[in-house]
Amino acid sequence: MNKKAQLRFSILRGCLAILISLLIATLLIFISAKGNNVGEKLGSTMDALTNLIIRPIISGRGAFATKSFTDILAGMIPTIFTGLATCVMFSANQFNLGAEGGIMLGAFVSSLVAIYVPMGAGIHMIIAILASAVTVGAMMLIPGVLKAKLGVSEMVCSLMLNYVIMYMVKFLMNTKFADKSKGQVQSLPFLASAKVPELISNGSKLTWGFIVALLFVVVTALFMYRTRWGYAIRMIGINQDFAKYSGMKVAAIIVAAQVIGGILTGLGGGIEMLGRETTFNWTALPGYGWTGITIACISGNNPILVPFAAFFMSYLDKGCSLMSTYCGVPAQLIDIIQGVIFVFFAAEQFLSGYRQKLVVRSAQQELKEKEAKEGKKDE
Amino acid sequence: MADFKSEYAVEMRKISKVYPNGVAANQDVDFCVRRGEIHALMGENGAGKSTLMKMLFGMEQPTSGEIIINGEKVNLSSPTVAISKGIGMVHQHFMLVPSLTVAENMVLGMAPKKNGLFVDYDEAVEITKEYSEKFNLKVDPNAMVMDIPVGMKQKVEILKALVRGAKILILDEPTAVLTTQETVELFKELVSLKEQGYTIIFISHKLNEIMQITDRLSILRGGKFMGVRETKDVTPQEISRLMVGRDVVLKVEKDQAKPTETVLKVRNLEYVNEYGKTMVDKLSFDVRRGEILGIAGVEGNGQKELVDMLFNLAPVGAGTIEINGESIVGLPQAKIREKGVSLIPEDRMLYGIAADASIEENVISDRSHKKELNKGLLFNMKKIHELSDQLIKDYLILCKSGEQKVGMLSGGNIQKVVVAREFSSNPQLIIADQPTRGIDVGATEFIRKKLVELSRSGIAVLLISADLNEVMELSDSLMVMHGGKIAGYFEDASVLNDELMGEYMLGLKHQSEEEIRRVCHE
Repeated sequence: MNKKAQLRFSILRGCLAILISLLIATLLIFISAKGNNVGEKLGSTMDALTNLIIRPIISGRGAFATKSFTDILAGMIPTIFTGLATCVMFSANQFNLGAEGGIMLGAFVSSLVAIYVPMGAGIHMIIAILASAVTVGAMMLIPGVLKAKLGVSEMVCSLMLNYVIMYMVKFLMNTKFADKSKGQVQSLPFLASAKVPELISNGSKLTWGFIVALLFVVVTALFMYRTRWGYAIRMIGINQDFAKYSGMKVAAIIVAAQVIGGILTGLGGGIEMLGRETTFNWTALPGYGWTGITIACISGNNPILVPFAAFFMSYLDKGCSLMSTYCGVPAQLIDIIQGVIFVFFAAEQFLSGYRQKLVVRSAQQELKEKEAKEGKKDE
Repeated sequence: MADFKSEYAVEMRKISKVYPNGVAANQDVDFCVRRGEIHALMGENGAGKSTLMKMLFGMEQPTSGEIIINGEKVNLSSPTVAISKGIGMVHQHFMLVPSLTVAENMVLGMAPKKNGLFVDYDEAVEITKEYSEKFNLKVDPNAMVMDIPVGMKQKVEILKALVRGAKILILDEPTAVLTTQETVELFKELVSLKEQGYTIIFISHKLNEIMQITDRLSILRGGKFMGVRETKDVTPQEISRLMVGRDVVLKVEKDQAKPTETVLKVRNLEYVNEYGKTMVDKLSFDVRRGEILGIAGVEGNGQKELVDMLFNLAPVGAGTIEINGESIVGLPQAKIREKGVSLIPEDRMLYGIAADASIEENVISDRSHKKELNKGLLFNMKKIHELSDQLIKDYLILCKSGEQKVGMLSGGNIQKVVVAREFSSNPQLIIADQPTRGIDVGATEFIRKKLVELSRSGIAVLLISADLNEVMELSDSLMVMHGGKIAGYFEDASVLNDELMGEYMLGLKHQSEEEIRRVCHE
């Protein structure tokens, strides 16, 4: 199987996965659609699908929907970071799911700096975001070191850590940092000097963070494919015994991969919080970490593909929210549709792994048969 | 016992097995076992013993030939069918669930039921006790399998087969993991089973054990049947001659070695495995610049453990390892490599390569941190491409490009990738562990020539191989390992013949301490 055929195969697979999930989505929408008879129901299903697929970029009047499009781009900012973080950690074969808690912790830490540590404009924002990155990087030492030293499953550890962090942040917000003059749990407002400036001011919250995110896509890709450290991470992910035998510091790199994931997550948390919000008002895990895992899966742990996967997820998100606003499709359906799409994408990944093995086996068999034949001739 | 049409419990007639990858594991093998005897199946590694037994247990299907059990022609399409025909197998690697108790393991898949739904654990314990007493195989029904010693695990395996109604028991190298006492106990049990009319097939290559308990023995070599003998009539020399022998000899041209100073110095090295068995026993030897020291021996005599210790892939039990006078015990692999040690690992898929990475990524794994491949923070991709292209050219690696995944290559070319990396790192000592196992003739010849070439250029080579051809052809001097010790050392490997080698490999002969000590060049 040559490279071209392989590419064609995976594109076909991807499209098929999306198509199947859309079909299932359609079915679900149809079931929940308003209408007294089949005809009416079909009509509102079509309506909902239009909102899901077309409206995010083309408005009802047929024009390009600028605001909606910038919403989608803005939505990509945190998930690009969590996606990149997950790519790095998964590449080392470390199934660390801590990006979810990490982004909340990062957002919280950057908020505190933004509120309580006054500094000059520009530098303040950068320090706040860096503080977030360092904190989340340090947080990832917990699953990293426990794995490397004691063999604790990083998956369980990081997953549980998410909740520890969520409740810790909630506790601190309720007891120490809440703005008592407000009716809901939120912090004091950020100082203006800590705000991430907007790229386009149309209410989309599309900030310079987007450019930074794209920059980090390039940086992460370079790191993973063009440096000795990224190389070591990938080799450990493919075959840890091989890495050890080759002389790599396996334990240290396993920890490092997770810390780097934490740093990327922290950057995302800080940038998102200081770009989108004016006070810290998250009372639950934001979901960006989970989306990051989906993105890493869709992009096959390749950083270069992360923005595309993030765009796809953000697009879907926008489409779903339009659908629920304008067509009365229940909001819960959004999660179901996303779930279905994820399942098919994940399945596509599993199948491709299986296919890879098939290819390897067939190629080896071919060669061996050839060699056996040649061997016989020699006799 | 009921009347049977045949005196044989097992008749395997004209059995051939060709695996899908073209390996002919058995060719026209006739293997017959009389009812109520202990019958040894002997042969070196790769002789086809396991394949033959897998076919008898229904795990593999013969390409041609027929299997007759108790005079009845059978089609053993799966282990379930084989079990229903009264065949049971005790695998070398136990097939037990560690987190379940002995009784639970005993009845796995055929558990007695309570109220038609729940496992009747008490009944399972009863069954275990009953069989344990009946066959005098003492086990503790309530102990967890992970907590019991190896010897007892093996008893559980035997009982498992008996509970399932086995009359013919296949034991695959049962003593390989046992201590001496456990072995003695096992033999008593086997003899007692035989007296009760059970038929036992005993796979082993340990001569003394076979002489001790078997009635007859069959020998395989290179997938072919070499003959069957009454144990009491056969001499160990004859067995050794039948078992060990060379078919074709690949000649490698080499001139006389001129060894100089010692590179690798090993003294009193010891390794005790997790079961408390001493695998490497006070081993001492030297490898000098410019020579190839071969280590021959039947597998499982400590070679693997020795290599693992040399490269710190297993902890050293006791003793010292020095490279050019500096200890390398406990050093990380990067440091060992820095001292000029290269290793062609026995299991290339486990250690040798990352199958999902490209050739290029595989050849730089030991030097990715080196200055010449980096430009500041980034890789110097040009240099890396150059290096990999050069190695592909020099080592005749058949591939589309350096970007191709190693896993897509054939076995021989995968091994060339490993060899290219290990030979090109400026080594002072090359440890070549089974360097040509399972690869094609062309690649084998290439790798052997390279080894000779490198040794003549002043590199020390330690060659470990179960392939007699290889060690005898390549080695300048040679030592034979048996039971974790050096059984013999031969300064000039060219004077050796197959027969003599066989006798040392199977532990029939031992050199004196003084003779063996010559391998330490002090």
